[in-house]
Amino acid sequence: MRARIIARNEVLKIVDLLRRDHEVVAPFRGGGRDTFFDTVTDENRGRIEIHLPNPYLPPKRYVLPQIEKLLRFRPRDGTWELLPEFNDRKRAIFGLRSCDVAGIHHLDRFFLGREFRDPYYERRRKNLFIVNVVCTDPEQDINDECYCLCSDTGPAARDHFDLQLMDLGEGEFMAVAGTPAGEALFAEPIFRPATPGQVERRRRILSEVRHRFKNTTGWFSATVRYISRGQVLEKTWEEIGHRCLECGGCTYVCPACTCFTVTDRPVGNGEIERVRLWDSCALGGFTRMAGGHNPRRAVHDRRNRRFFRKLAHYFIQRELSMACVGCGRCAAVCHGDVGMPSVVEMIRRATAELDRHEPVKS
Amino acid sequence: MTGVYPSMSHPSNQGRICVRGWNVHEVASSTDRLRQPLLRTTNGFKEVSWEKAIEFVARRMRDIRDWHGADALAFFNSPRCSNEESYLLQKLARAVVGTNNVEHGTGVYCNNSIDTLLEMIGHPATTNSVGELSESEVLVVDGVDLGMQLPTIGGRVIRARLNGAKLIVVDARRQRVAEQADFFLQLRPGTRALLYGAMAKVIVDRGLMNLPFIKSHCRNYEAFLEAVRQYDLLAVAECCGVPAERIEAAAVAYAQAKSAAILYSTGVAARGRGSTRALVNLALLTGNIGRRGGGIFALTEHNNLQGTCDMGMLPDRLPGYCPVGDEAARRRLEILWKARVPETPGLDAQRVFDNAGGGQVRGVWLLRYDPVNTAIFCDAASALSKMELVVVQHLFMTSTAQYAHVILPVVAFGEERVSFTSTDRRIQLAEKVIEPPPGPKPAWRQLTEVARALDADWHYQDAGEVMEEITRAVPFYSGATHENLARNYGRQWPCTRDKMLGTKYLFEEGIPPQAFNFAVVPRPQTPQGASDDYPVAAIFGNSLYYWNQNVLVQHSETLKRELRVLLLDYPEGFVEVSEEDARRLGVRDGEKIRLVGHHGSSVAAARVTGEVRSGTITVPFFVKEVMKQIMGEGAFEAVSRTKPVFVRLEKA
Repeated sequence: MRARIIARNEVLKIVDLLRRDHEVVAPFRGGGRDTFFDTVTDENRGRIEIHLPNPYLPPKRYVLPQIEKLLRFRPRDGTWELLPEFNDRKRAIFGLRSCDVAGIHHLDRFFLGREFRDPYYERRRKNLFIVNVVCTDPEQDINDECYCLCSDTGPAARDHFDLQLMDLGEGEFMAVAGTPAGEALFAEPIFRPATPGQVERRRRILSEVRHRFKNTTGWFSATVRYISRGQVLEKTWEEIGHRCLECGGCTYVCPACTCFTVTDRPVGNGEIERVRLWDSCALGGFTRMAGGHNPRRAVHDRRNRRFFRKLAHYFIQRELSMACVGCGRCAAVCHGDVGMPSVVEMIRRATAELDRHEPVKS
Repeated sequence: MTGVYPSMSHPSNQGRICVRGWNVHEVASSTDRLRQPLLRTTNGFKEVSWEKAIEFVARRMRDIRDWHGADALAFFNSPRCSNEESYLLQKLARAVVGTNNVEHGTGVYCNNSIDTLLEMIGHPATTNSVGELSESEVLVVDGVDLGMQLPTIGGRVIRARLNGAKLIVVDARRQRVAEQADFFLQLRPGTRALLYGAMAKVIVDRGLMNLPFIKSHCRNYEAFLEAVRQYDLLAVAECCGVPAERIEAAAVAYAQAKSAAILYSTGVAARGRGSTRALVNLALLTGNIGRRGGGIFALTEHNNLQGTCDMGMLPDRLPGYCPVGDEAARRRLEILWKARVPETPGLDAQRVFDNAGGGQVRGVWLLRYDPVNTAIFCDAASALSKMELVVVQHLFMTSTAQYAHVILPVVAFGEERVSFTSTDRRIQLAEKVIEPPPGPKPAWRQLTEVARALDADWHYQDAGEVMEEITRAVPFYSGATHENLARNYGRQWPCTRDKMLGTKYLFEEGIPPQAFNFAVVPRPQTPQGASDDYPVAAIFGNSLYYWNQNVLVQHSETLKRELRVLLLDYPEGFVEVSEEDARRLGVRDGEKIRLVGHHGSSVAAARVTGEVRSGTITVPFFVKEVMKQIMGEGAFEAVSRTKPVFVRLEKA
C-alpha cells in the first residue's frame, strides 16, 4: 500500500475534499467523556477531533440503521403496488477506528458475502468511503475496555479502509491508501511522499502502542476452543444468564452484530410500510417460533447464543473472522458485567479448572 | 428520530439503560400520532381547530362549575408527565377552577410511602443518589424485581455485589437480582413487617444499634424499643418461612455495614404502611440516613412519579407537599397565583373512577393518562361513560380517549424542552431535539390557553417560564431554573438559590437535632396461616414488564413483540406456580389449574416457574377475574390487600 505524509494542520482538509461529493460523518466530543459521530457542517467542521475515545454508539448505523424503511405497499388495481425506498446517498466516515473498520467488514461478510446479497445494505456500503484513524494516543484513543490486540483488529487496520491516517507525532500524519478511491486523493497537493524513515517511525509507534493497552483479554483462543467443542459448563452459562438484565444494549452497541427483525405497519390511506429494526438475542421474542416453541426460552440459553454466534468455530469458518472486534463497548454497556472480556474470563476460569481439560495426570 | 443512545457520563446510569430506553425514540415517529384536536359528535370524532377545541373545553368547564360547583371537576395525569405540565394542571384545578380534585394516576400505590417518609424523615423521596450504590457495603432489596422493572438500578446492585458488597434480597419471588444475593430471604406473603421487626430485635439484642445517632437525631426511640421487644426471632422465622439463622445473619450484616442502603418500590405493589415504617426504622436504628452510600431508596417506577408528586398532583398536598389544610402554605401560593386555593382535600383518581366520587364529579381532565387501560383499581370505562365532560390530552387514540368529548393532541418526548425528576431527586431537562409534526401543541401551552379562556391571567411563553414559577412555588426547587438544570445532568433537590448545585444525599451538611421519628410498629397478628384445606398463599402483583400496556410498549416494534410473546403463550392470562407445586399436581406449563378459595373458585392457565416459592401462587393484576371469583372482591381490593388469600390448587 502506498504511503503519503500530510501535515497535522492539513488533515481536516481531507474532510473538506470529501465533502465536495459526500455527506461526511466525523467524531465530536459531547458532555463529560461522551463522544459521538455526527454529520459535518460548516458550523461544526472546526470541532472535529482526531484523538478522542471511540464513540459509544458505533458507526454501524450508517450502513445498518437502528430503524430503516425498506418499502411501502398499497392496493392498486386489485393488486399491490410495491415502492422500495433505497438510500443512495454518498457518505464518508472520517475517523473510524480500526475495530469499527473490522466491524463493517464483518457486516460485509454477512450481508454481501454469501448467496443472497442484501440490496439495502449493498447500496449504503457501495456509497461509503472509510477514513480509518489508527489509535496511537494511549490517553485519548485507548479506553480501559479496549482489547483489539486480542481480537486481532487493531490498533492499525490492515485493510478494508479507503484511507488510513496515523499520527506520527512531530506535526505529521501518515496516510495509507487502501483502495483506488483512496489513492485518488493522493493527487491533491496536501500529500507529500513518505520517506523510509517515516515508515520506520510508523512501525516503531505501532509496536510501542501495543504495550499501552490496559485490558487484554488473552484467552480468546482457549474460549473459542471451549465453546466450539461444547465444553462450557451449564453452570457457567447460568451464572452469565443470571447477570443479564435483557436490555439488548450489548447487541445495539456491537459493531459486528447483524441481527434484525422486519415488521409491517400501517401508515394511513391503506398504505403499509415495511421497516427493518435492530434486534437482540437477549430478548425473549427473538427465537420464539410461530407455533409457540422457543428453543432459547431461559435467559442463559439466550445469552450463550450470543457467545456461540461470536466465538464458535462454525461461524468463524463461515465469516472468516470472529464476530467480535475488540472494541470493548459491550463491557461498558452491560448492567451485570457480562460483556465479552468478562465472559471470556469466566469461561476460561471455570472450564480450565475442570480435570478433563487437563490431560496430564499423576 | 431514528435512534437513541445513552450518555456514558450520566451519574446514575453511566451509559447503561434498559430495553425501553433503547427504543424510546419510536414513540415520536409513530405513524398513528394524533394531529388535530378532535371533538366528539353524534357521528364519531371530528377534527376541529385549536380555537374551537379550547373554546369548547372552557365553556363546558365553566358550565359544570357554575351549575354543580368546582368540585364537580377533577384533574388527573400520568406519572410520566413533565414537571411543567403537572404543575400547570394542578394550578388550573386549584387556582382557576377552585378544586383540590387532582392526582397522578398511581396514588393508590405510592401514597403510603410518601406519608411514611414525611412522618419519619421529613422528605418524601429517596435519600441518596443512585450512583452511591457502588459505595454501599450492604444493599437490601425489598420486593421489587429490579432486573425487570428498573434495570439501571438492578445493574448497580449487581455490580456492587460483584465488587464485594453484601446483598440481602427480601422477596416472595426468586427474581433475577435474587440470584446474586448473599442472603435471599424468600418469605411467605404478608410477613414483611414481621421480618423487619425481628431484624430490629436482633440488632437491639446484640447491641448493634447506633446509639449516638439515635440520641442526637431521633425521637420516639423508647416507644419503638417497647414494640420491638414483642418480636421473637424463632416465631417470626417460622411464620415467614425463612431460617432464623439467615434472618439473624442478614440483620447483623446490615447493622455492621459502614453504609447500608435499603431499596424498595413505591410502584405497583401492595405495601402496607407497617412494612415501610419497619424498614425506615432499621435505617434509623443503624444511623443509615445522612450518610454516603446508605439511605432509603423509595424507588419510583415511572419516569416522573417523583416530580409529579413534588408538583402537588396530590389531592391533599400542595406543590412542595404542604397539606392543603395548612393556611400559611396556602396563603403563600395564593399570593403567587393571585387566586384563592381551596382548603379541603380533594378526591383521588380511585374514588372518582370507582363511583364518580359519589356522583359528585361530572367532568374529568386526563393528561396523558389512560385509566381504561392501565388503572387496575377500577372500572374506569364505566365511570367515564357517565361523565358530562371528558377532556383527554394524549399522543394517541387510547382506550380512554374513546370516551372523550374532546381530545387534544400533545407533543412527544424529544419535541419539547421540559423537565423530569428521577427517583433520586434529580431534576433533569429533556431537550428538544426535533420539531413536532404540524398540529400538536405542548400540553403546558394547551393548559395555558384553557386557563386564559377561563379568564385567568396566564402568560407563559415557554416551559422555562413555567419552571421559573415552580422555583417560587416549591421551596426545594428554588434553584432549579432550566438554565441551571442545563449545565449538568440536572440537579438533585433540594436545589435552592443558595445551593444551586443541588444535593447528592439528604442531610449531607449535617442532620438537625431530633429530625427523625421512629415509628411504633406493633407486632402484626400472625397472618392467618395456611390450613389443610387451603394451603397455598395467593399473591396479587405486578407481572413481567411486557404487560405494562404503556404508550412506549404499544408503539415500539421490538417491545410490542416482547409483549405479544406472553400474550401468545398465555392468551387468557396466567397464574404463576412453582415447579415443585406443579409437579405435585401433575400440571405442566400452560395447562389449566383451579384455585379454590373460601368463597369460590377460578380456573386459569398455569405458568410454571422457578421464581415462585412453593406454597405460593402469583396472580398478576391484569387477570382481573381470578380475584373476583375466589374472594368476591375486585382488583382494587387486591391491590390494597397486604395479607395473602389462601387457596387450594387442583388440576382443572
